[in-house]
Parts: sequence; C-alpha cells; structure tokens
Amino acid sequence: MSQTGADVPFYHMSQLSPLPPSRFPLPALFALLVAVACTRPAGEGGEGGGTLVVYNAGSLARPLRAALDSFASGAGAGAGGTKGTARVTIEQENAGSLETARKLTELHKIPDVIALADYEVFPQLLMPEHVRWYAQFARNRMVLAYTSRSRFAGEIDSTNWWRVLQRPGVQVGRADPNLDPNGYRTLLTLRLAEGYYRTPGLYDRLLSHAPPRNIRPKEADLVGILQAGELDYIWSYESLARAAGLSYVHLPSAIDLGDPADSADYARAEVRVVGRTPRDTLTFRGQPIVYGVSIPARAPHPAIAQRFVAYLLSPAGRRVLRGSRLDALDHPAIVGTDAPAAVAAAARE
Amino acid sequence: MPRAAGAHRVASVVAALCGSLFLLFLVAPIGHLVAAAGASGVAKLFDDAELRGALSLTALTATTAMAAGIVGGTPVAYLLARGRFRGRAALAAALDLPLLIPHPVAGIALLLVLGRESAVGASLLRAGIRVAGSPVGIVCAMLFVSAPLYISAAREAFARVDPRYEAVARTLGDPAWRVFRRVTLPLSMRGLIAAAVVMWARAVSEFGAIVILTYNPKVVSVLSYDRFTSFGLREALPVAAVLVLLALVPLTALRALRPERGVEG
Repeated sequence: MSQTGADVPFYHMSQLSPLPPSRFPLPALFALLVAVACTRPAGEGGEGGGTLVVYNAGSLARPLRAALDSFASGAGAGAGGTKGTARVTIEQENAGSLETARKLTELHKIPDVIALADYEVFPQLLMPEHVRWYAQFARNRMVLAYTSRSRFAGEIDSTNWWRVLQRPGVQVGRADPNLDPNGYRTLLTLRLAEGYYRTPGLYDRLLSHAPPRNIRPKEADLVGILQAGELDYIWSYESLARAAGLSYVHLPSAIDLGDPADSADYARAEVRVVGRTPRDTLTFRGQPIVYGVSIPARAPHPAIAQRFVAYLLSPAGRRVLRGSRLDALDHPAIVGTDAPAAVAAAARE
Repeated sequence: MPRAAGAHRVASVVAALCGSLFLLFLVAPIGHLVAAAGASGVAKLFDDAELRGALSLTALTATTAMAAGIVGGTPVAYLLARGRFRGRAALAAALDLPLLIPHPVAGIALLLVLGRESAVGASLLRAGIRVAGSPVGIVCAMLFVSAPLYISAAREAFARVDPRYEAVARTLGDPAWRVFRRVTLPLSMRGLIAAAVVMWARAVSEFGAIVILTYNPKVVSVLSYDRFTSFGLREALPVAAVLVLLALVPLTALRALRPERGVEG
C-alpha cells in the first residue's frame, strides 16, 4: 500500500530526488511511521474542566443553544452544583438524530450530553452500550410549513391542506425517511391522513407531490430550500417552523403525532424504512413525538453534564426551552437505570 | 568540510522525516480505507445496484462538469494569462470566490439563481430542464465548486508559455486562432491536463453543494453519507473505498499522459 501510494499520485516526490536513495531509505522510514501510527490508537483527549460537549438533533439546535447559553451565563451553574463559578466552554454539534447516534456507535466520538428528536433511537441504537437511561423532556408535532411566496399560501388551512397539496405544480419537500425521524413521521402522518379523511389512495397521491427529488437528508435542510422558493411546502416540526419564522398549517391532532392522548390512534399507522443493512427493512409505528436527552456512560465531563441536564429538566430550563418555541414537558420522564440523582431530582421538581 | 557534510546529512534527514510524515498524513487515511473496505467494496459492485448507479452517475456528471469547465474556462484562463485589461486582478479574484464559500451556501446561492423561482430557472423549466433534484443540478454544483481550480491552473499553464513563440508564429502569418491551436495549446497541454484532472477529482468529491441541489438521484459522495447515517461504517466504508479504487484509474491514466511537446524540460 505504501508503495502504490508513493508511486501514483505523489509525483512531488521527484523534488526530493537529490537525496541519495541508498542512504535515506524513504520507504523504510515511511513504513516505520505507519507502524508507529498504527500502534497508538487515537484517544479522546479530555479537555479542561469547564468544557461541555453536546450532540443534538437538528431541530433542537436553537432551543438547546438557548439553554446552554443561559446555563453558561450562570443561570444554571448554581442548580445542583457546587463549583458554580467555573467558566463553561460549550461545543455543540447539530445533526440528524440517527447521524448523531452513529457518531457514538461508529466513530466512537462520545459527547457529554446527547439530545435526540426521537427517544426511540436510544433503545434502538445506543442502549445499553453507550447510554443506560434517558429523559423524555419535550414534545413536538408535525406541521406543514410554508412562506408567503408558496403557491396557494393564501388559501391553505387545516381543513383543505390535503387538497391544496395535490394541485398541479405544488412542490412539497420532506426529509429522508431512512435517515431522519421527521422523514418517517411524515409518512406516518400521511398514512393517518388517509384514514382520517376517509380517502383511499390519499397517501400515494400526496407522496407523488413530494417525489424523491424533493427529499433532503433531514428536515432542517429543507428550510433553506423552501425559503429559496424551490419548494412550496415542507413537512417539518412545529418548533422548527416557529423558530425559523415560517408560516405553518396546524394539522388535526389525530394525525400530527403531537398529543400523547392520541397514542392509540397513532399506533394504527405503520411505515417501513430500510433497516440495519440496505436490504433489510424496519417497521415504525406511529407514536407521539417526544424528545429524549441523556449523558453517555463514558462522557468525558460527567460532572458538568449532570449539572446541565439537571438544569435543562428543571422548571428554569423548561422556561428557556419554551422561550425558544420548544414544548418542554411539565413532567420529564426518566427511562432506564442509573440516572444521576441530581437529574432525577430536577425532573421531579 | 566534514562539518558541512554533517549539516547536509542532518538537513536531509529532517527533510526526509518531514516528507515521510506528510506522505503518511495523505496516504494513511486512504490506505486504511482501501485496506479495510476495498475488498467488500469491490464485491458490492456486483450485488449493489444502487452503488453501481451512483458510480455511473458520478462519473457522468463529473465528466460533464469537467467538459463544461474546459470549454468555458479555457478562454477565460487564456484571457487572464495573456490579456492586459483593466480589472484583470479583480476578475481573477472573483473567480476564486467559489472556493471561499462554504459548500452548502454555494448550493443555496445556485438555487437562488437557477431554481424555479428565478428567471433562468423558470425558462429552463419551460424548456423541460429541471435543475434542482436532477443530474443537471449535480453538474451545476460540481462545476461551481471545481471550475475555479481549473481556471487558476490553466491560467498558470498558459502563462508559462513563452509569448515569443506565439509572436514568431504570428509573424509567419498565422491567424490568432491558428497560433493558439498550433503553438500555445500544445505547449501548455500538460498543464491543462493536470488542471482538468484536479477539477474532475474535486467534482467527484463534492458533497455539500450537491446535497442542497440534488439529494436524489444520489452520487457516490451522497450515497456514502446516506449509508453511514442509515447503517453505519460497515456499509459506508466500502462505498468510499470503491470510489477511491475506481477513480484511481482515470486519474493515473491522465497523469501518465505526457504530450511530447511539453513546456518543461
């Protein structure tokens, strides 16, 4: 491998040719370096005490940022903590929920806090190896977001949206159901709509107005494309639409996956997406949209992570989340074992 | 004398060490990728139709983008190398701008100019050409992010041609186009090929702008991201590895091309 690598694309080697090749056997030195590089696995260097690394779903980017900022500015530093005066350096990474989970399972990058748009991803991909518990802390609902320039923006409402979407020329965008919870939730909402409006074939007809070319990896990617005018409507979360200043259609609660009281109705819908390999399939049943947050078992800075999650779940944290248009749950629920005492206490406040 | 020889030896060792480290930095990730997943990537070629589709789409779009870059960029590069006009530096700087813009932003910028709401996009759509969500969008994204590399390298290739050769040909009565074809082009050919190779490779690797304009149908870069997110490294690495292995063929072939009347030498 080293030889083909050196021979083929790296023609700049010729610039070193004045070196007597016998005295300085470059390939040998190179091979030695390869060996050295391979024997020392790269470690996650633990940083200074005040660092907090947060991986979160794209739709949580703004609300968590607000909570992190208020935590760092001191509002939360005292909550459940002792050394509240230390300066906090925040590192936030936004990505799709499944992509975020893959960073832990595949890339072995371990954050201090992980927050996902679908708590189901915790048991599916992360438990028990990376995470032993998670807290359900906020909810959301599916909406149909649009701008004032969208076709038929003046006419669409909660009762006629499914007819408007079928008009010629209307372009509807959605997230990839194989990559993003919002993508398969869109399919679940369309399935539920078919029954709710008693219109057989509605699912397929609505999907034909959101063809593969209108799909993007995750729902947050669609906002810019909607604003650029390429799409008329996008399937999104209420929190995201509000935070981005988009108009949106409120859907009936029987189909918007937003009301835990309708759980039984939601569960009647199911969709199939690809599973663990490209040839495998996985079935998702409808259920209310609930966000989950956790601290990985091997978090590099567990103490500050506990203080932050306790703050996030506390009444003060909930207020900040609601200020960023995220519907924080009044009674966060903890699932699993070994949740830190401070976190459990904050959830009960 | 011995002291000078010793210093020379130390300098040589330091240079060799630096060179080796640098090579390692460049080669190790790719070598590791190919070693870890090359075999399964090649095996996938036979039973993964989506991968085959993505590979041929990537080859087709990157080659189209490269061809468009050559056709449109060569005159611009020549003009920048030979022209003496006001604003030449400004034009050259403007042509570097696409390299500066984060690629998702480039995707949105292209969408604003070529999307269905824009004048250009709307007329293209009337002519039956859709940019967003089609291979046309992929070519546009690739062209936008990679053409500046071609223009910049091609300009240098033209600049290295001694203007006296062109002047001699003109005094012998050759018209300008013939001088370009018979003198300038052959003398700069190696540089132009190298410029085109870099452009093609950059186009193949593009992800950020493409995923905004056209997520489906998927090119290899998008497919490997998709496989990583949906299934993890086991499925994503072979896709990337097979791309590296296959891309090596045209890259090596083009690099091996050494037109006889090279400039250097």
